[in-house]
Amino acid sequence: MASIELDRVSKIYANGAYGVRDVDLKIEDGEFVIFLGPSGCGKSTTLRMIAGLESMSAGDLRIGGRSVNNVAPRDRNVAVVFQSYALYPHMSVWHNMAFGLKMRGVALSEIDSKVAKAADLLGLNHLLQRKPGALSGGQRQRVALGRAIVREPEAFLLDEPLSNLDAQLRAEMRLELVKLHRRLGRTIVHVTHDQVEAMTMGDRICIMREGRMIQTGRPLDVYANPADTFVARFLATPPMNLIPARLEHEGEKLVVRIDSETSVTVPDKHYLPYVQKAGGPITAGIRAEDIYETRERPDWQRIRVKVVAVEALGAENILIGQLGRDKPIEIQARLGRHVFAPVDSMIDLYVDVEPMHLFDSETGKAVARPPLPVGR
Amino acid sequence: MRKFGLHFGLILACVVVLLPPLWALRTSLVPESMSYSTEIFPAFTLDNYTGLFAKNRFGTFYVNSLIVALGSVIVALPFAACTGYAFARFRTGGRFARFAVLATQMLPPVALVLPAFALLRGAGLTNSLPGLILVYSALNLPFLTWILMGFFEGVPVDMEWAAMTDGATAWGAFWRIVLPISLPGLAAAGVLGFILSWNEFLFALVLSGPQTATIPVSLAALQTSNGVQIAKVSAGVVLAILPLVIASRFIQRFIIQGLTFGGVK
Repeated sequence: MASIELDRVSKIYANGAYGVRDVDLKIEDGEFVIFLGPSGCGKSTTLRMIAGLESMSAGDLRIGGRSVNNVAPRDRNVAVVFQSYALYPHMSVWHNMAFGLKMRGVALSEIDSKVAKAADLLGLNHLLQRKPGALSGGQRQRVALGRAIVREPEAFLLDEPLSNLDAQLRAEMRLELVKLHRRLGRTIVHVTHDQVEAMTMGDRICIMREGRMIQTGRPLDVYANPADTFVARFLATPPMNLIPARLEHEGEKLVVRIDSETSVTVPDKHYLPYVQKAGGPITAGIRAEDIYETRERPDWQRIRVKVVAVEALGAENILIGQLGRDKPIEIQARLGRHVFAPVDSMIDLYVDVEPMHLFDSETGKAVARPPLPVGR
Repeated sequence: MRKFGLHFGLILACVVVLLPPLWALRTSLVPESMSYSTEIFPAFTLDNYTGLFAKNRFGTFYVNSLIVALGSVIVALPFAACTGYAFARFRTGGRFARFAVLATQMLPPVALVLPAFALLRGAGLTNSLPGLILVYSALNLPFLTWILMGFFEGVPVDMEWAAMTDGATAWGAFWRIVLPISLPGLAAAGVLGFILSWNEFLFALVLSGPQTATIPVSLAALQTSNGVQIAKVSAGVVLAILPLVIASRFIQRFIIQGLTFGGVK
């Protein structure tokens, strides 16, 4: 059993600043959890506190139900894979992988068979006698993983292990890690700032900002129902369009008024949760993929946009345009690959308003409403 | 033309630097009577070298110097490694401790030599090689600490963390990972410490006796009341420089090699 429980865990630095603040989290045995956030948000610090490499200033940490607040890293039975890989440069690949077993006094014959097994799993057989200096980035990454695997730890803690790889290798290793998790069935905590990794790899993502864990949940749930504007923007490329507006009554309906000429109507089913905000400023959140070039459903609503640029990505085009006349706001729309519009021309686009979110314009928090259903 | 000027300047600089040792080599190989001759190479003899060993007990002093220089490095290096690592990784004592260690190097040696003499006399270690080793170790320690601190700061902390999650204690990580990686640094520091001790004169003059003198002291003794035996002094200088030239070759290699990590990225 290697569940990991963080109970109001904090890290306070000598100057009084919080590195991590009151993090509460229960990671189930065998779960693949992603810590996601921008640099400096405290995700790596949290990981290092779980590993015991950094002291906790407050709170309680349990691994497998056992409190490990005062347990040395070597006695926690977790393995860490570092962003820099941190291989021992003076040792061969074999010795790098065997080091942890040697430290634990495992018999040489057993070490040999375990290293061979892990090397087999990761395709490192022909590299065992090489030193890390003679390996490519991808190979080093696999050695670092192998070093973690041979020890058969209760949990793997991965600190941005893919961020030094090129795009293709990263995509391959993403898949490898997911397969590995399925095969080993161990708890994995994976720290990243890459939202693709976050969306595709984990059972659950935990989004961190300024030392706090601001939202946790299954990737698609978090994507569909962001807790605030930060999550909304961070978890997508292009980020969610955040449009300052006013929420007004118009007859029986609620309308998000962007300026005197531009507005979108709130769907009836969201009337009740949103009506409390009527008559005040609001931030409307519309994802780029909820804006279309043609109206395919009658409830989609037209907006007029001045084209600033079109980024042709091959499979799709990202249109960057200005919305509104008085104080134009830049928005991005993910359109079909055949949609081109000359720069500075005006174009009509259609918004699917059902997934639209409204955020408090002061705090940035999402105005509560029933969560969007997620297909999976 | 500019290139010619550059080369001319560089050659001139080399001549200025190399001429004194080359002249010492030349003087050591000519008879004493012709040592002040203006001729470049009037005659050849090895008498100065044989005379040094036969009459001036140069062999004993040479061995003394080797024992003292090597001994002080062997004693000081482990302490310097531990102190340097403590400063580099744990910030032990903060900036003040670092500065305090460096500050000891700023004192003029003459201010330390009398207290050192008094301490050694109390311990009965004057006129002895262990006494000199002890003093040189103390003198080298701050310098070696600073050099090694720099090397240890270059070792990524991730590696120690990796070792510690792999099952090593903090000491184990230092012993099995940090020290082996820092071998070039340890070698460079050792060679520098050796050179410092080898060349040291003042403490050796005050603290050593007739049986325990080192090369610098024995060379100075060649300036007798009957005059300076310049050819013999030159021979002594050439012999004294020899290990340093060899050591410099080593240190150059190690410093250039520096810390070449394959372990990170």
